[in-house]
Amino acid sequence: MTTRIATSRHPLAEYIKRLEAGQDLLQDSPLNVVEVVGILKSYGVVLDAYSRNLIYISENQFLVLFPFFKYFNGDVSLKRLTAHWFHDRLNYEYAEYCMKSMFWHGGGKLDAYLDSPEFVKNAKAAIQAQWRNNPFMLGLNALFPDYLPEQVRMLSYYSGLGQFWRVMSDMFLSLSDRYDKGEITSIPQVVQHILDGLVADASKPITYSVQLRGETYDIIPQSAGLTFLMDTAVPYVEAIFFRGTPFPGTVSYNAQAHQIPSGQGDFTYGALYADPIPVGGSGIPPTLLMQDMRHFLPSYLHDVYRQTPRQEDDLRVQICQSFQKSMFCVTTAAIKGLAPHPFDSQNPQHQQENRQYLQGWMDRFETSRLLTVNEA
Amino acid sequence: MLSALIWIPILGAIAIALLPPDWEAYRYRKIAITIASVVLLWTLVLGYNFNPDQVSMQFVERFEWLPSLGISYHLGLDGLSLPLIVLNSFLTLVAIYSTDEKIGRSRFYFALMLFLSGGVAGAFLAQNLLLFFLFYEFEVIPLYFLIAIWGGSRRGYAAMKFLIYTALSGFLVLASFLGIVWFTQGTTFDYEPLRSSALPLDLQFWLLGMLLVGLFIKIPIFPFHTWLPDAHVEASTPVSVLLAGVLLKLGTYGLLRFGVGLFREAWIVLAPGLAWLAAVSALYGALTAIAQQDMKKVVAYSSIAHMAYILLATAATTPLSLMAAVYQMIGHGLISALLFLLVGVVYQKTGTRDVRVLHGLLNPERGLPLVGSLTILGVMASAGIPGMIGFIAEFLVFRGSFPLFPIATLLCMIGTGLTAVYFLLMVNNVFFGRLTTPVTQMPQVQWSERLPAIALAVLIVVLGLQPSWISRWSELNTATLIVDPALRVEIPATDLAQQNKIRQLD
Repeated sequence: MTTRIATSRHPLAEYIKRLEAGQDLLQDSPLNVVEVVGILKSYGVVLDAYSRNLIYISENQFLVLFPFFKYFNGDVSLKRLTAHWFHDRLNYEYAEYCMKSMFWHGGGKLDAYLDSPEFVKNAKAAIQAQWRNNPFMLGLNALFPDYLPEQVRMLSYYSGLGQFWRVMSDMFLSLSDRYDKGEITSIPQVVQHILDGLVADASKPITYSVQLRGETYDIIPQSAGLTFLMDTAVPYVEAIFFRGTPFPGTVSYNAQAHQIPSGQGDFTYGALYADPIPVGGSGIPPTLLMQDMRHFLPSYLHDVYRQTPRQEDDLRVQICQSFQKSMFCVTTAAIKGLAPHPFDSQNPQHQQENRQYLQGWMDRFETSRLLTVNEA
Repeated sequence: MLSALIWIPILGAIAIALLPPDWEAYRYRKIAITIASVVLLWTLVLGYNFNPDQVSMQFVERFEWLPSLGISYHLGLDGLSLPLIVLNSFLTLVAIYSTDEKIGRSRFYFALMLFLSGGVAGAFLAQNLLLFFLFYEFEVIPLYFLIAIWGGSRRGYAAMKFLIYTALSGFLVLASFLGIVWFTQGTTFDYEPLRSSALPLDLQFWLLGMLLVGLFIKIPIFPFHTWLPDAHVEASTPVSVLLAGVLLKLGTYGLLRFGVGLFREAWIVLAPGLAWLAAVSALYGALTAIAQQDMKKVVAYSSIAHMAYILLATAATTPLSLMAAVYQMIGHGLISALLFLLVGVVYQKTGTRDVRVLHGLLNPERGLPLVGSLTILGVMASAGIPGMIGFIAEFLVFRGSFPLFPIATLLCMIGTGLTAVYFLLMVNNVFFGRLTTPVTQMPQVQWSERLPAIALAVLIVVLGLQPSWISRWSELNTATLIVDPALRVEIPATDLAQQNKIRQLD
């Protein structure tokens, strides 16, 4: 016999009910599957490039004060330089915006580790190694002892985000491969694929070391105990999906009118809140990411966009809308993965705890685009 | 040469009407575009060969038609009619090009458009009063059908109202023309002989009064304006373009050519009253425009306000103000045509013109960014922002009228200020902010829809930067309306003191 607790009275009770029933935030429909899988395919390609560049910067541009060629991944040539100047390139700046957003909002053990004495010790060792023969920089470091360690903290986030996206990129590309083989046909399957991927790599260690003058310097050693899911994925979701900065959204930025929340935790400028239609003054989504993804759209998704009234005139808006749908799938996977108890538990105590857990999420979704993405 | 401007479109219209009825609509449209292009090309050839230093009529064509009635087929071109002829040819092409390729009853539609163009050209070229009247009335017929058949939901009402008002207008104009010939005991309706005929002042008042009321209906001037907003709202976009751009100019052209030209003494006496009427009409149009929620009505009431400036300038009757009147006719023709075109695109894409519904259309991804940008340019031109034709036209009007009618001119200047108010309200509501949900799925705007508006916008800016390209055609000829050619001296239009002396002496 199945026992369920009373229906929630939350404004988004419908979604609580859906999740408790094992369903997802995004409604299952053939069009949604095409959009989500297609956009995650292009996102996977872009993330692959972003993650390689972030890791390259963290390892090869370590404390380079003027990293003019940081987006070149070591391949500096006139041809690439020309392509860069003509903007025939990926917008790696977007990856840095995400990194800085994570850095600013913090969260997880990575944030805590970067404030620990162990990190400071490791960072100072690397700094000394980097500027061993440069008394000017060592002098500056002595005068401003917090500056270079802060740079190393930032580079740690370069590396952390790079490693996180490495996993996510592979996960999204394998999702696309399975879709191409006909193995993925519904939104629940998409969410399950992501959930499986997150669980599989949940305890994957996050480490960071640099090679300086032939020696390896550990900045984040394995002994720090940082793992993929709790120390990069969860802070990433919090920073980019909810709080954000790379996705300026519908909330005004008018500080004089006290429209910016005083607490960072109340920020709602993340991907799940972004208004895909750009409005002067409140940010310019579709962002650089949408511009990058449009180069790698699979033909079946491109065809869907071409059949809309504006065809390709508003391609970036359509990409952003699909992207939001896909991000609600990733969020569903995260919600399911982090739930205190299985949603099919018959234990009323477990059900109650799950209910409170879900209501906490729904409180944050009230002003998000959740209802909008399910309107179409 | 001039007959071609009348008969190419009319014969073209007849040819289209005789084409097989089962063709696709786009084929009729292509033929109409070709005919309109030929007419425009021919107009430009005439403009190129026009001698701006010659004060008499050029390219004159004349033969006796009904000598016993004093009607002759007498055409001529001077600096007053040339800019309007060019405007007519250009806007006809714009209107035909802007017409939907799949329009219903297309054969009849394009034939009517060409009839209309030929009729208007005839009115601007006619040098015989009755010939002018015939063309003046002739253009009512195609326009009536264009509104009544291809208009909006209340097209029947709007078309009938238009017909009644303009028929009354025609009756009054005809009565005035008959009166002048009757009382001068002339044997001809030719323009030049009648100009030289002197009538007693009281008779001039009566005849001019009838003419003025007839032309005020056509322009229209408050309180004879009520047909215009209805006609505009119900007419399709290309018809609105022609209506605002060219047809209203028949009224102001009549004021200059016949009001000032035939009744100079009475005109000078009535001028202060006309200036006040212009001020009232300008303010009425502007204030009413502020209250409108329909974009087309805003532009329509704006037309009433801006056409009143032409009356103000004509009332002043200095060489500068008369040139200003011509410039304002061209400026208003281009600006209102642009705005009606753009409102038409907005309506076609969104299904509404309601400023309470439309928001954020300037959105670069999902909105109508180019249409919005051109609309902003159009309203800036209309509000007299420097660098565009509206500024030149309004500056000349106010500069030419202020010495004679300072209060009326100042009131009209307030009307210009109000232009910024009603148009900014409209632009702010419709183009800024976030796109409203009902209009986020608009279809693409095709380049063919953008092209006519871009062409108009370019002209608005170019003629705002280089006004002499129009004024050099008109400067000498408009002055002859108030000064006998024999007395006319080489006084620059900007020498206001000298101009006022001329006005008083004359």
